[in-house]
Amino acid sequence: MNCEEYREAIATDPSFDGGAGHLNECAACQQYRSDMQALDQRISRALAIDVPELQVPELPELSTSKSDKVVALHRRQLAPQTWFAMAATVVVAALLGVRLVGTGIEYDSLADEILAHLDGEPNALRVTDVAITAKRLNAVVPADIALMDHSAGLITYAQTCPIGGRDVPHLVIQGERGPVTILLMPEEKISGPQRLSGDNVNGIILPVGNGSIAIIGERDERLDRIEESVLKSVVWST
Amino acid sequence: MHSNKAADARRQRFDRQVGIYHQDMYRYAAWLSRDKTIAEDVVQEALLRAWKSLDALRDDSSAKQWLLTIVRRENARYFERKRLETVDIDNLTASQAALLAEQPDEALDEMRLAIYELEDDYREPLVLQVLMGFSTNEIAEQMGLKQGAVLTRLHRARAKLKDQMARS
Repeated sequence: MNCEEYREAIATDPSFDGGAGHLNECAACQQYRSDMQALDQRISRALAIDVPELQVPELPELSTSKSDKVVALHRRQLAPQTWFAMAATVVVAALLGVRLVGTGIEYDSLADEILAHLDGEPNALRVTDVAITAKRLNAVVPADIALMDHSAGLITYAQTCPIGGRDVPHLVIQGERGPVTILLMPEEKISGPQRLSGDNVNGIILPVGNGSIAIIGERDERLDRIEESVLKSVVWST
Repeated sequence: MHSNKAADARRQRFDRQVGIYHQDMYRYAAWLSRDKTIAEDVVQEALLRAWKSLDALRDDSSAKQWLLTIVRRENARYFERKRLETVDIDNLTASQAALLAEQPDEALDEMRLAIYELEDDYREPLVLQVLMGFSTNEIAEQMGLKQGAVLTRLHRARAKLKDQMARS
């Protein structure tokens, strides 16, 4: 490590403790380090402004009742080809000595499965204003599944996720009250719109052609505009 | 009875996390907005949002980053709503000036003013590193930047402050 590299490291983080070999031999860098640490102490003191006493706003009561769920479909039956795929997976896993976890989970409804999936993927619900790249969006929503543009909103998360035994695009856009989940399910045909609600969320599964799209936001999120923009921005390819 | 217990536990969890991180939330909001009154509003909104989405926080060890992320988002929303003008340092409102209220230590005043005048892009990573103790990786995640960009901004922020202090 030379002087330039050492000073670069110290200037980005004065607590940097690498480069001991160089530091022991360079008095100038010892002085630089000491100066930067003194500067940081001053910065730290300046940033530590007085904080007013905590005043918690009036917090609304939140329902935790499971009876909030509006949707109560029949127990979901997986399609024969899905059972075959799962059986094949188990055989392959057994041959490879892989221990499968959670393959026996059965959900009462598509809504239940979606809510359980959201619980298992909290990172998706990160509040952010950074959009994913077009490359990422195209990777998760390939042209053979659907054509989708960016007009649905600020898309901040995209991942392929298993729903109903199939891999489907799981997207998140930022709504008025927080992240809004969008699940594109081109092969999940439903007969009509299904409302769903969880402890703190509300949403809807909309029939779209031979598939469906789930849109889930926070309890007080207004989903109607988001529904409209999502439906305009997605066209199934199949 | 059962739901009352669950509600109590939820409230206790909320109070515990907010009790620990309220100071960080306020200071972060204050240095983002550069205005004490706005910071108080932003924190109030952030507390409400945190309460409503507390169940999304699976691991309390991530509470600090989670709460600060909410503060950051609420601050952005506030400025979207109000469409505030950029701050003219010679024409501050009382609430903006309150952040720079004179301290007995003149050197501290100078540093506070210098930080206040830093561009947002430089001030925010500095606050997250020095005040919040975030690693450069965590700052990158919080701000949606690559780590290299964070390192550059931190380097430039300190260089600017060092120059400013040398001039004063």
